[in-house]
Amino acid sequence: MVKLLLAVLLMSSMPAAQESPACTKCGKQTYGTSVQWAGTPSEAAAKAKAEEKLVFVLHVSGYFEDPTFT
Amino acid sequence: MNALANPDVGAYLSKHFVSSFQKVATFQIVNGQKQGGNVASYFCAPDGRVLHCIAGPVDAATMLREAKWVVESVKKAMEESRATEVSFKSLFRRWHADRLRQEHGLVVEPATFDAPAASEDDPLTYRDPSGRPIVPVLPPPPIDGPDVQFRAKAMEAAKDAASGVPDRKGGRWSLGNQGRVHQLMAAYSMVKIERLYATVFENILGERVSTKPVITINAREGERRIVCLHCESKAQIRD
Repeated sequence: MVKLLLAVLLMSSMPAAQESPACTKCGKQTYGTSVQWAGTPSEAAAKAKAEEKLVFVLHVSGYFEDPTFT
Repeated sequence: MNALANPDVGAYLSKHFVSSFQKVATFQIVNGQKQGGNVASYFCAPDGRVLHCIAGPVDAATMLREAKWVVESVKKAMEESRATEVSFKSLFRRWHADRLRQEHGLVVEPATFDAPAASEDDPLTYRDPSGRPIVPVLPPPPIDGPDVQFRAKAMEAAKDAASGVPDRKGGRWSLGNQGRVHQLMAAYSMVKIERLYATVFENILGERVSTKPVITINAREGERRIVCLHCESKAQIRD
């Protein structure tokens, strides 16, 4: 029982996996940048057409969502 | 990534662009160390045609300068194409050629005509039985280097730079990523991003396009999968 309690205490004291901060205005993920990211490039293109904007597409190696793997 | 963390860059991109990202290549983790990996930033029209590109990581000032150049050039091209009836595409290609000449001293003839794309249903279209590549790599347009007096010295320097770009006279010129981008854009600006990205990643950045995000080689002992051949064989027999 004591061991179980200790295990629970240890687990609760461990830091949770870090999530990238979301934009304070729209709540979208910024992935450690100051840019608000739309979903897929197709979604971005549709949104850009509606808002009469251009499209910015970033091509990356690895996992963009995790800065340690980008 | 540092450039995109800059608040000025973020504000400018949010004002004029809708942003998106894609994973197009891989990097390796060898013995826990990251190897390779790169980034390319594309400024596109809403229909996915590429206006400009930044190959590789850059600082915030460069990112902001290039983004502003795209926005200003789009406005200027729209006005000019209306007034002069020169196509938007031709103007953009000419301006890329101008930037190559002004910033890198090399001359490239902007392509104003694109050959029609072959139809997949065309009976003359060759079908590779081993499967089609993800996307074909586009050949860069030929460049003309400046007529320099210290030709021998320039040739010697070009020989040292194994990655030099050849010109039509046989000389080789050391050209950075952005110079190569302008060379490519002078011929392929306003081409769809799906036709262009492999050329940027493979020819300019030297990375192979891949659908796998990360490859791990020689992971640490604790992360290795222990395979018992005896048990595996038993499982196969049971099945």
